[in-house]
Amino acid sequence: MRFIRLTCVLCFLLLSACQRPVADGAIHFAIAQAPISLDPRYATDAASERVNRLIYQRLVAFDAQSKPVPGMATWQRLSPIHYRFTLQAGLPPFHHGRPVTAVDVVATYQSLLALKDSPHAAEYDNIQRVRLINPLVLDFELKAADSDFPARLMMGILPQDLIEQHHDFAHQPVGSGGFAFYAWQQQLTLQRVSDQQLVTLVEVKDPTVRVLKLMRGEVDLLQGDLPPELVQYLQKQAHLLVKTTKGTNFSYLGLNLQDPLLSQLRVRQAIMHAIDRQAIIKQVMVDQTRLAEVILPPEHYAGHAGLTHASYRPAFSKQLLQSAGITLPLKLVYKTSTDAQRVRLATILQAQMAKAGIDLEIRSLDWGTFFAEIKQGNFQLYGLTWVGVRTPEIYRQVFGSEWMPPQGFNRGRYVDAALDALLGAQDWLAITKRIHAQLPYIPLWYEGQVAVMQKNMSGYAPHADGNWDDLAMIQRSATIAHDAD
Amino acid sequence: MVRRFFQLFTVIFGVLVLTFLLIHLVPGDPVEVMLGESASLADRAALRAQLGLNQPLLSQFGHYVNQLAHGDLGQSIQTKMPIVDLFKTRYPASIQLALLAMVIGLLIGVPLGIYAALKAGQWQDLVVTLISVRLAAMPVFWLGPILMLVFAVWLGWLPVSGMGEPAAIMLPALTLGLGLSAILTRMTRTSLLEVLNEDFIRTARAKGLSERTVVMRHALRAALLPIVTIVGLQMGSLLAGTVITETIFSWDGVGRLLVDSIEKRDYPVTQACVLAVALSYVLINFATDMVYRFVDPRMRLARD
Repeated sequence: MRFIRLTCVLCFLLLSACQRPVADGAIHFAIAQAPISLDPRYATDAASERVNRLIYQRLVAFDAQSKPVPGMATWQRLSPIHYRFTLQAGLPPFHHGRPVTAVDVVATYQSLLALKDSPHAAEYDNIQRVRLINPLVLDFELKAADSDFPARLMMGILPQDLIEQHHDFAHQPVGSGGFAFYAWQQQLTLQRVSDQQLVTLVEVKDPTVRVLKLMRGEVDLLQGDLPPELVQYLQKQAHLLVKTTKGTNFSYLGLNLQDPLLSQLRVRQAIMHAIDRQAIIKQVMVDQTRLAEVILPPEHYAGHAGLTHASYRPAFSKQLLQSAGITLPLKLVYKTSTDAQRVRLATILQAQMAKAGIDLEIRSLDWGTFFAEIKQGNFQLYGLTWVGVRTPEIYRQVFGSEWMPPQGFNRGRYVDAALDALLGAQDWLAITKRIHAQLPYIPLWYEGQVAVMQKNMSGYAPHADGNWDDLAMIQRSATIAHDAD
Repeated sequence: MVRRFFQLFTVIFGVLVLTFLLIHLVPGDPVEVMLGESASLADRAALRAQLGLNQPLLSQFGHYVNQLAHGDLGQSIQTKMPIVDLFKTRYPASIQLALLAMVIGLLIGVPLGIYAALKAGQWQDLVVTLISVRLAAMPVFWLGPILMLVFAVWLGWLPVSGMGEPAAIMLPALTLGLGLSAILTRMTRTSLLEVLNEDFIRTARAKGLSERTVVMRHALRAALLPIVTIVGLQMGSLLAGTVITETIFSWDGVGRLLVDSIEKRDYPVTQACVLAVALSYVLINFATDMVYRFVDPRMRLARD
């Protein structure tokens, strides 16, 4: 009897705790990874970068072709090593009320140059001096000529008074962007400056759980990091809206070019022809994923639309390997992270390559170990994605022979004098052709971007690089929106 | 008691040494994570010196132990927050979840185990056995989403995940508690069956005591010892942080903190988490020993 009574009490407590999702007026956005630092001088992870774009303004922005265009300021090149920036009129003030002036820009970049533990310090290493001309104008003086310099000025601008006070921007950011910091405990809440709308970013690592939260109405929106089968499931839900767009984030197979096998072009070509990219895109990638040939997509100003796609020809791959004097099967080790989608892709690659006489061994490692091994050159093949690349400078950093780790991104240790010469001349068309022909990377695809939201949400669409800029426009309406595209 | 404290100290010190060595031996270090690949060698060296990572391992370990001896767990390399502050929110969350999971496990597991033992060999025993084996075999990464689907999405009773509402603890606790209840059911059944065949139970029945009194007052108490052992061990692992459950349910406990810190090579946080986990285990074991003495008077006599 006592047990029954106890059970009844427990059931009562359980049911009394039951409730529908709380309607607090905020727009709830489920994200796979919470931002780590909201100080733009320290932020490197994608989530922090995306949030910082909302909180802070930057000197430059980018057009559809990724060319730098005026953001907070216009600029003039006074000489190859001297740039002058003039702030635009009518800039919104900082969230703590102070107006934005060139003093803040100077203070931001000077503080960055003084920091020894900032991951961005090296990017601005070429700056000799940042000089205030007047409250609206400032000059950047460089150590060496850099025609792409304006495109590098993507750092969010911080208020000078708070920089001097060593304010904790990482956890209590103050910027002048469209969103002001509101609270950050278990979830990050931002407030839209224009209408005080609250937007809450909720970290939910598991994609299935993110989808369940959306289904129940606990969140209003989610974007990216969803396996295609979940996207297909969501597309069938009447109360949800799925929007997709082409992406620009480049997925590839990295090769260790110091490996005696992989240093041979014919082996690299054999791997290229051993992968049925079209089938993978069709079966296991989200809509609007497209084939990639080089890091920058064709629509980029340094892109190349005329590069031919390598087709899936396992028999030809075998021939290439045999002509390179390799006894089949060719044994290769492929390293990847423990991410479920990455492991799944690895198993598909393994099955496809087997038909071409390549015996691919998969080693799945935790992220820290995996990335450390890649940087140390302790690999044969690995899979990764370049996210948010804006400038063609990436080709120099990734394939330039002077950019070997530990001080550069040339993880495959690629050395090509001809490419180095082209990189020096900044002939992007010739560079992309050379990379496409030499295959220091095996290009895979630009993954499509997907956002899923409740049908009463409007004004939001995913962007090619996965940014969350449309949070500035998202609205919840009482009636269901019909702006599906 | 002195011997127990000496053992406790030895275990903790061993854990400290092992954790320190292991985390420094795996590839990758926090400087690489913080500065990225484009940083100059000089900047890397400067940051390494600033963090004390350029010192010999022995010196780093000495500094760490000295810091601990002064009650200072240090600060996170990545977030720059004091680790004590991180623990202030994370540890209570893990304790809450562990306690509720244990209560659920006990409330379901022990009565079902008793019932199965009393109906041993009958169809009810078979049903209970089937259920408990199924529950024990279900991985939490599968059971968790199924419970979410049923209780949150279909029935709408509970939140899917998160820590924003008091009711949010129910599903992760249920996920852990159901698995635990399966183990407890099996253990209670087996243990009770053994005791029910003992002479003193036959004597109790012969004295004319009711079956309820025989089972609840005589048999169950004698059968409790292995159950207490399991409860102690399980409580230790629950307090250690249940990484998968915490991740699935976005529950900010110690388990998630530990995994995040390992990924980011945040040495001080990893070390502090492992230390906390080890302490939890040792203290729970200590408490379990105390409970043994209470449950079984023979132990008290033996030690006295």
